[in-house]
Amino acid sequence: MTPAALGAALALLLTPQVLAVMAGAAVLGLVVGALPGLTATLGVALLVPFALLLEPLPALAGVVTLAAVAITAGDLPGALLRVPGTPASAAYAEAAHRLARRGRAGLALGTGLVCAAVGGVAGALVLLLGAPALAGLALHMSTVERFWLAVLGLSAAAVVAGPSPPRGALAVLIGLALALVGLDPVSGQPRLTFGLTDLSGGLGLIPVMIGLFAVSRVLAHALDPKTDERAPPRIGPVFAGLGQALGRRRRAIALGGGVGVVIGAIPGAGADIAAYVAQAVARRLTPGRTKGEDDHDLDAIAPAGAANNAAIGGALVPATVLGIPGDSLTAIVIGVLMLNGITPGPAAFLLHGDTMAAVLLAFLLANLLLVPAGLLALALARPLLAAPPVVLMPLILGVCLVGSYAVERTTTALVVTMAAGVLGLLMERGRVPLAPVVLGLVLGPLIEEMALTSLMKAGGDPAVLVERPGALGLALVTAAVWGVPAVRAGIAHVRHPRDSD
Amino acid sequence: MNSHHTRILGRAAVLSLAVVIVAMVAVAWTAASARTEWPERPVTLIVPSGAGGGTDLTGRMLAERLEARFGQPFTVINQGQGGGVVGIGAMTGARPDGYTLGILYNFAHYKALGQADFDVDDVTPIAQYNFDPAGFQARADSPWPDLPAALDAIKADPTGVTIGCAGGCGGSWPIAVASLLAAWDIDPARVRMIPSQGANASLQDLAAGGLDVVPCSLPEARAFLDAGLVRALAVFADQRLAAFPDVPTLEEAAGLTLTLGAWRGVVGPADLPEAITRRLEAALRDIVHDPDFRAEMAAHGFGLRWRDAAAFEAFMRAEEQRVHAMIRDLGL
Repeated sequence: MTPAALGAALALLLTPQVLAVMAGAAVLGLVVGALPGLTATLGVALLVPFALLLEPLPALAGVVTLAAVAITAGDLPGALLRVPGTPASAAYAEAAHRLARRGRAGLALGTGLVCAAVGGVAGALVLLLGAPALAGLALHMSTVERFWLAVLGLSAAAVVAGPSPPRGALAVLIGLALALVGLDPVSGQPRLTFGLTDLSGGLGLIPVMIGLFAVSRVLAHALDPKTDERAPPRIGPVFAGLGQALGRRRRAIALGGGVGVVIGAIPGAGADIAAYVAQAVARRLTPGRTKGEDDHDLDAIAPAGAANNAAIGGALVPATVLGIPGDSLTAIVIGVLMLNGITPGPAAFLLHGDTMAAVLLAFLLANLLLVPAGLLALALARPLLAAPPVVLMPLILGVCLVGSYAVERTTTALVVTMAAGVLGLLMERGRVPLAPVVLGLVLGPLIEEMALTSLMKAGGDPAVLVERPGALGLALVTAAVWGVPAVRAGIAHVRHPRDSD
Repeated sequence: MNSHHTRILGRAAVLSLAVVIVAMVAVAWTAASARTEWPERPVTLIVPSGAGGGTDLTGRMLAERLEARFGQPFTVINQGQGGGVVGIGAMTGARPDGYTLGILYNFAHYKALGQADFDVDDVTPIAQYNFDPAGFQARADSPWPDLPAALDAIKADPTGVTIGCAGGCGGSWPIAVASLLAAWDIDPARVRMIPSQGANASLQDLAAGGLDVVPCSLPEARAFLDAGLVRALAVFADQRLAAFPDVPTLEEAAGLTLTLGAWRGVVGPADLPEAITRRLEAALRDIVHDPDFRAEMAAHGFGLRWRDAAAFEAFMRAEEQRVHAMIRDLGL
């Protein structure tokens, strides 16, 4: 971008109207993000009718601000109540809550906040500088490459599954099974719908996630109120030790940002998947030293916190450059662009260059504003902590049901949310991890669709999966991810049979 | 009078007052419902697609104008689950009181493919407002200079060509291209038709080299056309589109007259009262002929097509038969 174009874009952006809309969107983002059950996608969908009334730039600046702030604010109830505010925060809600229980909520939230800002800014910079290159890469992804990427993503389940591989595998299978309900993605035949039209659309990702992560907590509390009778976590100092904690995780945060941008740019996966995959990649690629519990939990927060915000920037790449939505959130962004007479695509940058540049700058600015907005949210969260769980938990349940209904607009979604809550409770009781369920739920249908359509193109010849160079490369990476640890374990077993038993 | 009597009297008074109020409310309510006209409360407009898509955008444009004409909110409810099956099912199953209406689009394949069981008899047609002709898109570097070359190549080697369905393979776009193939003496059942999650997904796969042909509307393909990634060889319309003057019609390109594509209209559940249907039809007639609405539709690349309730019903019945026959031929 030339300095002149940058100046023109800044002049468009820094007007009282745009800044006022961004501030309003940030407040709305804080609210939807911090309330478990209300997701960033819902917040953005709520903005659509208002976007009709606004000029294109304030409307879009508001949308990107809301998305960035909501995903970050989701960390708050995750740390304080162990109920993630948005599915994107689910990856590290557990770790953040453990820190909070040890009186270090401030450190957990501070880390999440700074990592979110770093990841978000990285995503915004990639969007500003490298969007065309990334879009070109995304354009070379045929169904075969996307099949391998989805398989690779599912491999992350092995890492985030926790200490027990069989339980992790069970969780993946539960996710895959839940994803089977609805019209089959290839032939469109109803599957496991029991003849109910309401189930044709499947169980719905958002109701299931809200149920698994938020409603299950409410139910657990209702069954056993004593668990929450311990003193509520205090926030504690936010900045003490923060510099050191972040400095030591420079590489993990950078990895998280990078993984987030790439995952976000792949159509089908979103911020929630990006958080899990970043955690898995960081755990593999940054060497583990002997360290305390706090360090272990911060290791889980840093890369995932950076990744979920970077993923928004990543998802905006194909959305703005090609008009291809990366997830449900950017699908709405495209709708808002079109509502304002801008058809996203390469031509948009020629015809509305200043507006598009200003939107991208607004996203950058929103990510910089995350830190003050997050600190404000922390201050507001203090009185929330004083509320007894007897009051808080029913409220959360209510908001969860409202949130599910508002996204799906069907009463089926309410039943699904409650059923998923019961499932989540049972899984927790059986010490089955929840994270792999999300991976199975999102990536299962993608793997199925990509594998089947690839085979249909080739008339059933499986060689099609490794014929294209990109596909072959990704297949080898996948094989390495699964094969190398197994081989290594095998060698270790041969050398020191006793140790690895 | 002692306090006991007062209490009994008081209770009797309260009781009789309550009876009077209930009776008055009941009378007022029957009178009101007999007197006041539809719509006396907000109307729900079910859009069987997600927020932000073409059906949603045009639905919101209509809702805004219907609201201004009837003085009651027309609330858009997005139910895009299951490719729209859930939303259409909710609309056809609603009470036909005029307070639940819906946007309907090419839907005949859902029943033919066993995905749902609604047909034209389950709706009250009100008006059609939109038609977008299909385009025939190939990759920019494909070896075919024009449509006849592409069709001849497919005829020579039907299984060597993959066609993206830009959605499910019973939808408006694949049915249009299958009709074209049949007109060129190619058995559409022999060509490899590949489903996807929508026009964008198929177009992206086309650009990535995973497909050879993608039929969808020209506005949907605009970003890819403008970027020079794909070429439109023809549009299934009787005249060229104003926004795409370089794309020839099917007649110009291949000497065939087929007008096929995607349409959208407003419907209610079956047995909607005649008076309500007439009022909605008249309001929609005004809206669709309003220059402001036409300009907004054109700005978003949506084609305009007016059909009143009778013509819309005849059109949907003919389409239902044609689609069912074509799906049999395709062997889906």
